[in-house]
Order: sequence, then structure tokens, then C-alpha cells
Amino acid sequence: MQIVSFALRNFNRSRTRTWITIGAMAFACAIMIFYASLLEGWLAAMEKNGVGMDLGEFQVHAKGFRDDPDLYKRIGDEENVLARLGENGFVAAPRLYASGLVAAGNASSGVELRGVDLAREQLVTSLDQHVWQGQWLDDQDQEGVVVGRKLARILALTVGDEVVVVAQGADGSTANELFRVRGILQSVAQGVDRSGFFMTSATFRRLMIVPHGVHAIVVKRGLAGEDLDTATTRLARLLPVYEVRNWRQLQPVLARLFNMSDISLVIMLLITYAAVGILTLNALLMSVFERIPEFGVMKALGFSPWGLFAMIVVESMLQVTVAVVLALGAGLPFALYFSRHPIDFSRFVQSSSTIAGIAFDARWYCVVTVNSVVLPILFLYLVASLAILYPALKAAMLKPLSAIYHR
Amino acid sequence: MNNTPLVQLENVSRIYQQGKVQVAAVTEFSIHLQAGEFSVLCGPSGSGKTTILNLIGALDEPSLGTVRLEGRDLAELGRSALARLRRDRIGFVFQSYNLNSVLTAFENAEFVLALQNIPSAERRKRVMDVLGEVGMAELAERRPDELSGGQQQRIAIARAIVSRPAIVLADEPTANVDSATADAILDLMERLNREQGITFLFSTHDQRVMDRARRLIHLRDGRLEHDEVRG
Repeated sequence: MQIVSFALRNFNRSRTRTWITIGAMAFACAIMIFYASLLEGWLAAMEKNGVGMDLGEFQVHAKGFRDDPDLYKRIGDEENVLARLGENGFVAAPRLYASGLVAAGNASSGVELRGVDLAREQLVTSLDQHVWQGQWLDDQDQEGVVVGRKLARILALTVGDEVVVVAQGADGSTANELFRVRGILQSVAQGVDRSGFFMTSATFRRLMIVPHGVHAIVVKRGLAGEDLDTATTRLARLLPVYEVRNWRQLQPVLARLFNMSDISLVIMLLITYAAVGILTLNALLMSVFERIPEFGVMKALGFSPWGLFAMIVVESMLQVTVAVVLALGAGLPFALYFSRHPIDFSRFVQSSSTIAGIAFDARWYCVVTVNSVVLPILFLYLVASLAILYPALKAAMLKPLSAIYHR
Repeated sequence: MNNTPLVQLENVSRIYQQGKVQVAAVTEFSIHLQAGEFSVLCGPSGSGKTTILNLIGALDEPSLGTVRLEGRDLAELGRSALARLRRDRIGFVFQSYNLNSVLTAFENAEFVLALQNIPSAERRKRVMDVLGEVGMAELAERRPDELSGGQQQRIAIARAIVSRPAIVLADEPTANVDSATADAILDLMERLNREQGITFLFSTHDQRVMDRARRLIHLRDGRLEHDEVRG
């Protein structure tokens, strides 16, 4: 405790230098808290678009469907599977997929027909809340379809327009029907934007002559905080005859992008704090060098080498702690403000821009997480600890006599 | 009764390297000091007085020979053990006081007791007692820059004796103070020696200090010239 007491007494002895050092550390830490929160927000938006709109957290398919999507490779006992998932704490929704051709006016385009269980789909994705123009599907409207944004542009579709679908039904017959565009989605992901053609599952079954089974079951964790890999393993054990994939396996490019984002945050932390570290090192070196005679006397009076080392480390850690408090006071409210008021880049970013196939949200929100706050703080302590190592060791190794007469 | 001398220097030499030249500050110096002595190392500048104090105080190491304090060979002790020895058994009074400028007189005097982890209440009592002994109790809350040279030296003496060391080593303690203050400081040290049995070893070429010493160890060119014990 004496070490802390001595360090506290020395804390404010060179006020200007101490507060400049603290200010630099606090500024860097506040900026990094804001940056990390912004990055978390960007990732959350990407995850929301990629996972929350389309992929879902997990998908269950009949074996082989992922490698070779086929109208006939279906999960036959879907109600049984859905019931088991529900019993085990998962939320799930079935989907139907088929390929087809859509024509409107003189234009046509290949599409992915998607049959959606409206009641269940909203439990696993929020696609229904992502309509740009018009409305989401309605069980009562058997003619209504919702299309991806880019597909609407290719076919020059607006809400209310008629479109003709041509596909091959499950019985080998030609599936051909006229639909009316009920809604156009906001940008979600490349696949959905370019070829997403949504209809109710009842409409899909009627059009494609698929009375039973589904092609995919989209699953979401019901248990808050359950690890993705743990839940994947649990799900795979629960449904051993089907293929279970989590979103990281379904979208490895997106998963890598998320991993890279963590690395980029660490790199940014290192670059920013390297500058702070040099400033801190300089200030601490000056603080040590100008006190060498004093350290000599302290050692002559019986201060142990490691006691002196500890005192200098504690002195700098006190400075870091004050800097962290200031950084939290400045950076956190800043990040929290931008968690409610997004930074709008829509002037500079096209509405259909994508990264790794996932729509890029031009409005950036901060998302303040434990990670976005704790990581910059931990790194600041780490960098300051490294910066203090040399001056503290130098002081510890001083010979008392040469230190006393050091000029 | 333990007859081991408090301090033993046996054939001690201290040679400094100054560039390419070797300078012998002390050469084959031997001496024993008993507990309770009030002794002076005297001689002209450069005769090796301060070097011998530094060797006895474990602040410096001899190039040759042995230095023992209470029978322990200092060469056998590591850095931390030497720090503990200085903390618990040796008191220093430096020529230029060397008080810590950010601490008050009380805190400066308290410093060694804090290092010894003495409980706060006992520390306060002992420090105030010692500050009373040196006549500085009323100025306990002042910082060094608010004190005169003589007052600072008294605080330095208080700091040296508060931990009840085996020996106090005082390097030119009267060099930077006026005559009246020097006399007062010497009175104080004599009284502490007489009443508390604290061993003092001074280095000086101040005649007033030499007049009061009960043993004069004369040095010249780093060698013992004459060891004079007074009645």
C-alpha cells in the first residue's frame, strides 16, 4: 500500500506534463471507443442484412440440397422437425425454393421463387419490415408477390405491375401464372436483390405442384447468449438425417469479413496507441530522468529496486486510469449519441452497394458493446505498460550512489 | 556481551575508472568502529572521507578488501538485501540534505518508517517525537522549500534517526549552514549520541565538528594517516 501512497504523492508533481500525457491517452481512447462502436454498428447492420433478412442463423436442408438445389430434395416431415426444434428452444420457419423465369413487358429475367410461411418467417427474419415500396405479402392475397430491388429495376417494375412466371412444376408440367407486384424490397443481399421473387408458401405449392415438404428450414436461437458453434452442434445432433449449417458456414466470405473486422480494429488500436505510446514513453522517460537523484536518495534510504519499479508502474497506471475515466466520459456519450442518430453516407454510397454479397447500409449507427468499450481500454493499459517498462527498469537498476550525484 | 565491532573495514581500496585513468580514492584502509562512537573522518578534500562513508553505508562497493556491518560482509548481500540493510540499520545525513521536495517535513521524516511498514499510528508518534527532539515539531507540515538550510538539515537528521539505526553516517553535515546552526546541529547529534546511544560517523574538515569528536580518523590521499582516540 505504501507503493500506491508514494505514487499518489508523485502523481501531480509535474502538472502540465502529466495532464498533457493523460489528455493524449484519453483522447486516443475516446476516439477508439467511438471507432470500435461504429465498427460494431457497421457489423451489426451487415449481420442484420445478411443474417436477419435472408440467411437466418441456421438453415436445415435435406442432404445434398446445398450442393445441388433441386425441387425434389425436400424435408418431408417438416411439421415434425419444426415441433422438435420448438421443443428444444429454437424458433424456425420453413421455406420453398424453385427456379423460374419472370417476364414483364418486353423484359424477362431468371429468378429464384421463394415460398414463405408468413406467420413463421417473421419469427426468424425481419424481411417483412424491409419493404422499400408497397407492402409485404399477405395470406389473403394469392396473386401478390414481392420482388428484390435490383430485379424490379431490371424488369422496370413498380408496385401494382403484372408479371408472368414460367417454371417447371414438380409434376413435370409447365407452371405458368400471372402475378401482381405487391411490394419491392429494400436492398438486402446480392442474391435477394437480383433474383428474389417472394410469394406465400400456399401460392408456391399451388404454382409448383409441391403439396408436401419444404426445401429449407430457417432456424434462430431461442436461448439468449448461446454460442453459435454450440447451438450448431446441438442442432446437428437433434436432426442427424439433415444438413445443418450456421450462417458462418453458409456465408464463409461474410464470416471472414467479420473476422477481418476484429483484426482491423486491433490494427487501428495498435496504430493509434503506438503514437500515444511514444508520447507516454517520452513523458515517462523525462519524469524518470529528472528524478534520478531523488531515486538515488530513496534507494539510499532503503527503497528496494522492485519497490521503485512498482512505484513508477503504479504512477503510470494511475495516469492511465484517469485517462480511461476521461475517455469514458467523452467517448461513451459520443458513441451513445450516434447509436440513435446515424451518420448518413447515402450521398456517397449507392443504395444497391454490397460487401461480400450483403447490402451495405449507408446509414451508420454506433453500437456500444462491452467489446467496443473494454478493448480500447485494455489496449491502452497494455501499451502504457509496455511504454513504462524501460524507464521503470532503468530506475530499478540505478546504483544509489551514481544516481544521487547524477547531473 | 558481543564484542563484534559495529563496522569493520579490512584493507579496503576503492579505485575509480575515469576515462582511461584509474584513480585510487581509498587505498588499503582498515578501521573498526564500536557501537556508541562519535567519530569523525577528517582530512582535506579528495582524501577519501565521503568514499569511506559510502562504502560503510552500502552505497558503494570496494574494489579490494572487506566491509562488514554488524559482522555481515556487505559483498555477500544482493541489491534487495542491501536496500533492507540501509533501511533498517543505517541512517544517512547528506551534505545537501536531499529531502524529497514534494513531501512535507513530517512525510520526509516518516519515509523510512513507511518503507518498514510500521503502522500509521506508531509512525505518527515516532515521527512527532523525533521532530520534537530536533526542534521541528511545529514546522512538520512545511515542505523543504519553505524551510531554511539549518531546518532542512534538522529534518534530514530526524529522517536518519527515526528508524533507530545502528549507525548514522553524516557527510559534511555543517557545510551548508551558518555557525549558529552548525553548533545547534552538533549539539543535537551529541545529545542523541549521549542519550540514545546512536553511533555517529561524520566526514568533515570543519574544525568545530572535529573539536567535538571523541575519535578523529585522519585521512590523506585515501590512506589512514592517524587514528586519534580522545578521552
